[in-house]
Amino acid sequence: MVEVKLFASLRTVAGEKGFLTDAASVGELLREAAERYGEDFAKRLQIATVLVNGKNIAHLRWKRTRLKDGDVVSLFPPLAGG
Amino acid sequence: MIGGYMGKVLQVDLSTGAIESYSLPERMLELYVGNKGLGARLLYDLLPPMTDPLSEKNVFIVTTAPLTGAGAPSSNRFNITTKSPLTGAIVNSNCGGNFGVFLKRAGYDSLIITGKASKPVYLKINEEGVSIEDASELWGLDTEKIQEKLTAGTGKLVIGPAGENLVKYAAVFSQERAAGRGGVGAVMGSKNLKAVIAGGKKRVPVAHKDKFKDACRKWRQLSREHPATGEELPRFGTSIFVNKCNATHTLPTRNFLHGSYDEADAVSGETLAEKHLIKNIGCYGCPIACGRQVQLHGKNIKGPEYETVGLFGPNLMNADLKAIIELNYQADLLGMDTISLGNTLGFVMEAREKGLIKTDLAFGKIDRLSRTLDDIAYRRGLGDDMAEGVRFLSQKYGGEEFALHVKGMELASYEPRGAVGQGLGYAIGSRGGCHIAAGYPIYLEANGPITVDPLATTGKPGLVVLNQTTMEAVSTIGCCIFSVYMFLPKALLELNARSPLISKIVRSTFLYGGNIIGKALSWPAWTLPVPAPFFMLPQVQTHAHCTGERYTLGKMMELGKRVVSMDRIFNLREGLTGADDTLPKRLTDELQRAEEPRSKVTLSKMLPKYYNFRGWTPAGVPREKTLRTLQIEEEPMLPQTAMGAASTV
Repeated sequence: MVEVKLFASLRTVAGEKGFLTDAASVGELLREAAERYGEDFAKRLQIATVLVNGKNIAHLRWKRTRLKDGDVVSLFPPLAGG
Repeated sequence: MIGGYMGKVLQVDLSTGAIESYSLPERMLELYVGNKGLGARLLYDLLPPMTDPLSEKNVFIVTTAPLTGAGAPSSNRFNITTKSPLTGAIVNSNCGGNFGVFLKRAGYDSLIITGKASKPVYLKINEEGVSIEDASELWGLDTEKIQEKLTAGTGKLVIGPAGENLVKYAAVFSQERAAGRGGVGAVMGSKNLKAVIAGGKKRVPVAHKDKFKDACRKWRQLSREHPATGEELPRFGTSIFVNKCNATHTLPTRNFLHGSYDEADAVSGETLAEKHLIKNIGCYGCPIACGRQVQLHGKNIKGPEYETVGLFGPNLMNADLKAIIELNYQADLLGMDTISLGNTLGFVMEAREKGLIKTDLAFGKIDRLSRTLDDIAYRRGLGDDMAEGVRFLSQKYGGEEFALHVKGMELASYEPRGAVGQGLGYAIGSRGGCHIAAGYPIYLEANGPITVDPLATTGKPGLVVLNQTTMEAVSTIGCCIFSVYMFLPKALLELNARSPLISKIVRSTFLYGGNIIGKALSWPAWTLPVPAPFFMLPQVQTHAHCTGERYTLGKMMELGKRVVSMDRIFNLREGLTGADDTLPKRLTDELQRAEEPRSKVTLSKMLPKYYNFRGWTPAGVPREKTLRTLQIEEEPMLPQTAMGAASTV
């Protein structure tokens, strides 16, 4: 299983802190999340940062990134703070 | 006259009671503008070299910027500059309270305080005059009570018991906002100055009123529409970074031993918003309103910021958010910087484990902390040593390798072994281990929406130069650093998330282009004659319309570079050297994660390039040519009368 963690407004819109999935790739996981939480969430996902085990994968294989059992995928909206 | 200025500086000598006002030369304002830039120049001119920071000879300078009080969003900040008793270096502490706005309403752009009063006093400034008042009855009051006692409807600058007792990291407060770092509160305390109040009805003269209003309107709209400043930051506050830093191994945990904490979510911005937030509060006139109002024992108080949460929470192995709220409030009342405080507590806890200090303070044990905060502020027992900061403690008791400070200033809440550019920033920051002086490169390495390889050293010197230069310029013109988050416009974020190819290009531009950017930034202003893009830097155009001065991107960047090098030559004059641009051994020699061989900060790979981009020698000294290009002159720029007033101290 892959653990999906949601943060900031993604958590608020989803109404939960995350979910477990069998998704085999990041693309599959994002599609599942969009279907699970609806249109507003899907829109926010378009500018979300995706970390797989703490690593940003936008510039790597991005949605084609393969997932394996035990991976942790963190989804963040664009943040500001500090 | 340049727009945005009231045209007068107020200088008060507390030793003699002499009060005078004068105008600054226009050239000085053109080159150093306001806030930290002008503060640095004034300090350089006024302070005799090698002055003891807590002696009456130290100079305490409050500066504003043209935008302060002019009506622009996120721009009402003022700055306190002095020689830091914590570091011996320059300290410029920026604050979002309303004092700067009220100082300008009283008719002054800056306030310079020299000397030392023979008994506790406070300073009263208004349009009719300036007076030094007896503060014997106010001495001993906390930062909240004293503000309640002083005249309503004025801007206030106060210290608490920690400032009175010369705690080396005592802060100055205006409303509930702090000029927190570097012990500026101790300098006020050393002068027997408990408070300054200012008020009046004067208005800031704006050069191009209609264009200025239009630029402010567009800026507000940009800020509102940007996902970071318009939604996430207002909704979750600055602690929004707890979870992101945790995920990217940059959350200081157990005195910076680790970069992540299993229970981080319990103290996150999300949890704070869900369980404690009553409403948002903002700095004076800021539409972002990232501050938190929370409830404690039936009373509405200011909630903690990210830095405090990180350093009172994971850094002390503490997952109790309510306890952090209480400790933060207590530290504010006592008037102490929570960043230095959190580090000091962490150091003592680790020193105890290693048998270096006898104490009952321990990681994860929070019931003793409240009493310890009082002990520090009132300098009781071990608290007396803790009031001197981490550097002093490590020199007295040992443990220098895990004493998390740079130049004597304790590190902010980012573990740089998870983002090595941030480590370089900490090492070269003029005031020491400060995330702002570092240029906050971590935003482009780990916790922002577009990030480069956080552990690569390639390109980082250029990235640090770019960030630092931009932030120094934005800060000098009076704007909040958070307004820089619009530097990455929404359209770019959407593009970046669309395909890995675009993301790769954006990322490579920052990482591999970092050195090109750095080199380009060492060129003079005329090589970059283009206007600053409004959708990225609305601050620049707004400032230009306020002052009536023409600003290109090159001129803006030159301002940032000038401020960095000005700070540098002040520090060199005070005896600091390139050898002070370093980090504690924990960060340079110990791996954060055994499985990741790059998880340490290799400064030797980055520092020489950084110096080169800045136009400094390999020893970290600005070259003559650099100073000439930046128009930094050795000769004082202040009028002789002002210099004379200072030298009588």
